[in-house]
Amino acid sequence: MGVSLAEILIERSEELRREEGLNIRIVGIVDSSGAAVNDKGLDLEEMIRTKKKLGSVSCHNEYGRHGLNVLDLLDELDVDVLVDATPTNLKDGEPSFTYIKKALTYRIHVVTVNKGPLALALPALRELAKHKDVVFRFSGSVGGGLPVIEFARQCARGDKIVKVEGVLNGTTNYIISRMEDGLDFKTALTEAQEKGYAERDPSLDIMGFDTAAKLVILANEVVGRKVTINDISIKGIEDLEKEDIDEASRSGETYRLIGRVDGELEVKPTRIKREDPLAVRYSMNAVSFTTLNSGRHVILGRGAGGRETATAILRDLIEIKKKLVEVRI
Amino acid sequence: MRLVMKFGGTSLGDGQRINNAARIVKEYVENNEVIVVCSAMAGVTDTLFALVDRASRGRVRDVEITLNNLSEKHFKAIDDAIKNEEIKKDVKSIVKELIEDLRRAVLSILYLREATPRSRDYVVSFGERLSTRIMWGALTELNVNCKYLDGGDAGIITDSNFGEANPLMEITRLEVRRRIGSLLDRGITPLVTGYIAVNEEGVITTLGRGGSDYTATILGYCLDADEVWLWSDVDGLMTADPRIVKNARVLSTVSFNEAIEMAIFGAKGLHPRALEPAMKSNINVRIKNTFNPPHPGTLITSKPEKSDMIVKAVLLVKDVAMISVRGASMVGRPGTVAKILETLAKENINVMMISQSVSESSVSIVIKREALPRALNRLETALLGTSLVEDIESEDDVNVVAVIGERMKGTPGVASRVFGAVAKKGINIRMIAQGSSELNISFVVKEEDGYEAVRAIHEEYGL
Repeated sequence: MGVSLAEILIERSEELRREEGLNIRIVGIVDSSGAAVNDKGLDLEEMIRTKKKLGSVSCHNEYGRHGLNVLDLLDELDVDVLVDATPTNLKDGEPSFTYIKKALTYRIHVVTVNKGPLALALPALRELAKHKDVVFRFSGSVGGGLPVIEFARQCARGDKIVKVEGVLNGTTNYIISRMEDGLDFKTALTEAQEKGYAERDPSLDIMGFDTAAKLVILANEVVGRKVTINDISIKGIEDLEKEDIDEASRSGETYRLIGRVDGELEVKPTRIKREDPLAVRYSMNAVSFTTLNSGRHVILGRGAGGRETATAILRDLIEIKKKLVEVRI
Repeated sequence: MRLVMKFGGTSLGDGQRINNAARIVKEYVENNEVIVVCSAMAGVTDTLFALVDRASRGRVRDVEITLNNLSEKHFKAIDDAIKNEEIKKDVKSIVKELIEDLRRAVLSILYLREATPRSRDYVVSFGERLSTRIMWGALTELNVNCKYLDGGDAGIITDSNFGEANPLMEITRLEVRRRIGSLLDRGITPLVTGYIAVNEEGVITTLGRGGSDYTATILGYCLDADEVWLWSDVDGLMTADPRIVKNARVLSTVSFNEAIEMAIFGAKGLHPRALEPAMKSNINVRIKNTFNPPHPGTLITSKPEKSDMIVKAVLLVKDVAMISVRGASMVGRPGTVAKILETLAKENINVMMISQSVSESSVSIVIKREALPRALNRLETALLGTSLVEDIESEDDVNVVAVIGERMKGTPGVASRVFGAVAKKGINIRMIAQGSSELNISFVVKEEDGYEAVRAIHEEYGL
């Protein structure tokens, strides 16, 4: 994830500077073994080389610092924005939760793509950001590069979103799609793993927790419900049989793992018509917003992926730059 | 049931009372999940405020004496509350350390001759911190597995408005659930200091108005408690002040709106702000008496039982004064009332009641009596001689009578019954105000008629 972001920043730096007036200086990079720090800005190409060759940016001969973590860095450096691209932990959201909390408390803007702290504490983190008057953004956390939240805001303008439904997890959707093609669950899962769609431990995806985490974010951001993952009733695809899909297909229907917010908050394998816009195939994501007056709007596209998510981070950084300009003039 | 129990200052007034409160808790922990919230021992918070004041004026001797008195008071309470020598020793050493911390804080104020809202909050926080440790000792002696936590450690996070901080409810909810929830899961009874919290940087703040009651309802909200019990030294909210009306009685249930009205009009200790979190999450609040535990008390609820009572309570607000501003030129001139209110607001004087005739030729307002000289002075300076106002009159020998009941809304004839009852006693009504919520009719009478007016209405409605 970090490498994808660095690559995109390198490729687009000229354009960002010209078009958005955005000159991003990365003053610190932290990975699992330590950090690289330079308050004049790190050379990203060099950092990618170091990471690829030596395994950690902390091995850089000049700027590498073994054992330094994000909390130390926030104390040491004067930064505008923390970008959090740590892996999702849905148990307690750590360490990301602590990083974000500290950054917001220090009045540092935060961009995160980590669903853990969002799923467990989004209302609280939003409240803290508002209290400290800083920007807290996470558009990469739902739908990867797909601008789901922005799209929802557009749908809601002058209208009201009454229902959100989404196919939010590429892994499970790939598995179900392959089951439609005739594979059984196990074979489909193995294939997804071989193709790199599924993690080695795919349980977060399969059990529906990843979908639920994304649903929390949508419920808070789009419908204004102050909820966490504990408020959601969750059922994954672990018990979905090939027979169920075959049976559904005989009446022109199929299954998708759908997260839904209306009166209820629910994740479960849901039987829908094959021509329903949510019946996307393979690793596609689709989210539909039903509004009070202007009907149903659907956004679809490829969800996760390093470059897609990195693009979402960039989008958030541009938003923050806009905010900084407003504040400082 | 999951219960939050808050004990007020009087209920923890000395060692014996703390012991008594601990026994009450013990009785409930067997079959319930109890979260205990402690106020400071009666009088201690006031003493701490005075201590800050004296220290900032550099009165060394006074400070020494006050500190020693405080220390003595708490050590005596420990001796009376706890018998077991070992526990007593533990609590004494904890309290000794706290008092040392307090002494250092006060000394720094003394040296600098400067008290900020921040340092004041730090000093006054010691009241609750001390009482909670003694309560912990008393409960430990009764074999209750418990742990004491300062407001911040319990997870109550506020903004940095020292002296009257506002909780950041969502962060607080998250933190309280993590910290207190895990204690409850392990069967440990948490004892939380009332009134105090921390800001997001961990600096001690206080909740100001509403104090420990507010802590209790915040915890109730965060932990989805079944009920919040506020233990104090009264049986509950009453139909009238028993010193005025002999047969006044305790109300078994009132709605949140009624309780808020009654709180504003001086129902003992209760602040409307403290009811907010409970009201928002539909958690029942019960007022109970530590000196009379079997009494069911008053239940404040969003679903009050059906009752025939149109009027719930008649309250008398003493120590008020009325100001009337008259002037024919005020008629049809927008902004006169705004000018009056603005003038008073600048002096930080709260307007309790306001009434204006439709002719706009006079405006009457009611304020606290102590503020009258200042108010009069400012209003005269600002308004007299402006050709707008002819005269400003004041009366400081008046009382406000407040008649409260949710069912007055939409019941025709309430006003005529109320005022009829008062008129029958030959009492003249000076000023009337009723909001369109119809929860409350307030009127002003001469001080000498105050008691009589309350009795007349109490009797009329058979309360």
